[in-house]
Amino acid sequence: MAGSTIDHIVALTVFLAALLLFISLFNQTIQTAILYQQHRHLATVCSDLLDNVMLNPGYPLNWGKTNSTPTSFGLQDPEFTQYRLSPFSLMRLQSLTGNPFTYPRTGVTYSNMSIGFGNFLFVPYTKAINYSTAAQLLGTTNTYGFNLTITPIVTVSVEETHAANPLTLVVNVAGKGFPLSNAEVSYCFLKVVDKGGQKNPSYTSLFNTTYTNDEGSAVLQIPDVDNNTAYAFIAYAHMSGLVGIGYHERVTGNKEYVLPLIDSFEDRRVLLVHSYNVHDYGPPESSVFFNATFVLLTEDFTLREMPMGTSTGKLGKVVYGLGTKETYANLTIPTYNPGILIVTYQSNNEYGVVLMPWGMSSMAFPVTFGSTASNPEWVVTDIRQVLVNGIAYQAKLSMWSLKGYGAIG
Amino acid sequence: MMRTIEILLVIIIITGAFIISSLFAVLPSPRQVSPMNLPRLALTTLQTLDGDYDLSATVFKANDAPAWAQLQIALSACLPPNLVYNLTVYEVQGGAQLYTAIRYFSNAENFGVSSEAASYLVASSNVTFSVTPEKIGEHSGGGTLYILNCSDANGWWITGYTAQSLAQDLYNLLSPYFKNTIMVQNTTQLGQMLNNQSLQGETLQNAVVINTFGECVPIPKDYCQGYGRQNEGYSPSADYPYTRYCYTLGQRTRQYNWTWVSIVGYPLYYASNTEAFANADNTYGIYGMQKVEKGGINAFLQGLDNQSYRYDPAEVASRIPGFVYLSSTVADNCSYYGIYPSSNQTSTRALSTSILSYNLTVALKIFDQVGYKIPGAVYNHIFRNDVNITGSFLALGLTRTPDIRLTALGLLSYYNPRLYPSDYMVNGTSRLVVLQLGQAGGV
Repeated sequence: MAGSTIDHIVALTVFLAALLLFISLFNQTIQTAILYQQHRHLATVCSDLLDNVMLNPGYPLNWGKTNSTPTSFGLQDPEFTQYRLSPFSLMRLQSLTGNPFTYPRTGVTYSNMSIGFGNFLFVPYTKAINYSTAAQLLGTTNTYGFNLTITPIVTVSVEETHAANPLTLVVNVAGKGFPLSNAEVSYCFLKVVDKGGQKNPSYTSLFNTTYTNDEGSAVLQIPDVDNNTAYAFIAYAHMSGLVGIGYHERVTGNKEYVLPLIDSFEDRRVLLVHSYNVHDYGPPESSVFFNATFVLLTEDFTLREMPMGTSTGKLGKVVYGLGTKETYANLTIPTYNPGILIVTYQSNNEYGVVLMPWGMSSMAFPVTFGSTASNPEWVVTDIRQVLVNGIAYQAKLSMWSLKGYGAIG
Repeated sequence: MMRTIEILLVIIIITGAFIISSLFAVLPSPRQVSPMNLPRLALTTLQTLDGDYDLSATVFKANDAPAWAQLQIALSACLPPNLVYNLTVYEVQGGAQLYTAIRYFSNAENFGVSSEAASYLVASSNVTFSVTPEKIGEHSGGGTLYILNCSDANGWWITGYTAQSLAQDLYNLLSPYFKNTIMVQNTTQLGQMLNNQSLQGETLQNAVVINTFGECVPIPKDYCQGYGRQNEGYSPSADYPYTRYCYTLGQRTRQYNWTWVSIVGYPLYYASNTEAFANADNTYGIYGMQKVEKGGINAFLQGLDNQSYRYDPAEVASRIPGFVYLSSTVADNCSYYGIYPSSNQTSTRALSTSILSYNLTVALKIFDQVGYKIPGAVYNHIFRNDVNITGSFLALGLTRTPDIRLTALGLLSYYNPRLYPSDYMVNGTSRLVVLQLGQAGGV
């Protein structure tokens, strides 16, 4: 009797121990399989969402050129098919990286997409599409988080190797770590002519074309430019379907200048403001006089200056301080074709030039839009090659689940 | 002891089950867990390289052209460094072997565990691809298009145009779709047609007759007062005696199974012959024209329906409904036939649904119907208890000036001829580019 009882006790104990062990083992296998399926599902959703955003212009179709919030989110250029994105829809995305600032004279806060001094792009928060709106329109709120980066494929860097007359510039054209040899480089050189005193500056422009050598470099010599000349240089490089943009400016001072702030996409209106009003450098300083122009990239990949009438506000001045009429100036971009707004400026002792892209691709500005992943369990990415007004970009979407996984023990 | 042995047996069975299930539950490689969509990346890479048709130009160049090296540089420059590629260009040709590889380059000896590919068909810039339309009447008989281009008649409600300029535009738009297109140069030729005489050996039966004179219709002199066929064109008992001519037109439309087309305004409101009516005007100072007024369309429909002629001046078209929109069928056909008139028009002469009592059925709505008004449609005449069509009538009750593209689009939507694009598989005209991508490193 006792032997039988012991037999039962031992058998039951061993059975329960084995049962627990195998439940644990099976559970582990099932967990791994479920996780695999969930990760793969996430990768599929990521790929689908990327296509959805890239192959759909949103609604209204031309929402990038208006001030309204779209009722359907998409970045495709409505005038094209395939993976061609609208440079204006991209411009209306709230940047994840730049530090926003508030312009005290109007109280408007701007999304900052600028790339260093002189290459400015400020979009008002009220007219930019934020992440939560996009997520809501895409149906990913509370389910998935994402981050979309769109970066130019071709890098065109400009280096000044000789500052005095003749100015020598080296243009380096490269892809993803790969120099582009024999690429056609079309450039625009715009020199600020100091008029002296309280006057608007003038400028001279030079347009030309050259080719890169085997190392992907082109050496340019610009005559009649000395150490104290302010200028802007814009170069478009083109080779076998790939197009990239580079630019470089030299200014004689970087404290008193004009800042272009986009005021209305619909009306193509830009505010030109005094830098002191933004940076609050200190006591009131002198007026800044400006002279603006607009260049665009033609279909044969050459740059062309587009005349701006005086009614557009191309000439004017801005002052620092409250209560004056010229706190900021209104300027109207003459076209909805993408291009670059070039503003030459001059104050008492400083003069120079600042650039602003009209259409994200005009200066190959990158876009970083979305959210940042906060300790996600798994992040998937997918990429596409896209064209933005003919400029080659790479779009990368990173995505993660916000729901968590119950399978994780 | 037996229980313990049994439990041990159970454990062995469960262990076996676990091992067997584990063998089947093969865990995927890390790369498969979160795959990059390489086919899409390959396709978008090819599309990017062909953004300005550079790829299309390069693949048709000689094998030693520098453009191939540039293409390889561009390809290397736009792909992430961890990707290996193989780009192969195939000639598309007929015969047993459809694709023949003519050029390839790669940046790796092999693609490791797996790779994906996308293909992209490019066409040579030296080749023009054409579209051949199906001819109306090719299979069903007929296929003749008559365009009234009479030099001895005047038009009305075609302000800004002449009937002759509209006729030329229609010829350009529609002649590719018909077996024969004949410009009826004068009212004498129109008289021949009405008398069942072919003008150039064409088939008269089942033809389409487009009246380019707007609200006016040319009348052969023979049908006018004092000439041989006066009885078929002139009835002095009516307020407007030439209403009788419209009855004859309706009869001929039925007898020859024509499709009579009115391009704008109130159909058959005037009759014109510059010689016979040299001293008469339409009360608006256009000479060579006689009023028929509202009885014209009624007489036409009586003739079409084989009723006996009676003068009926009742109005069957009204100034409403104003704004009208292309029907979905016709709007869809804009892209198919490459004709793009404005989708919204102004209708001030829409026919009433009451005309359907003449045994008419609406075969195609060119514009959406508004209440009891039909702004534009093709009507088929079918006798009661019959299935055969005995004449058709296209009427666009729009305001002036006419957009002739609407007439063309309406006719094409009604007959629906197919378009045959030229074959892309002709030797030397197309090449297939295949980009194969693989991920380097890892598993």
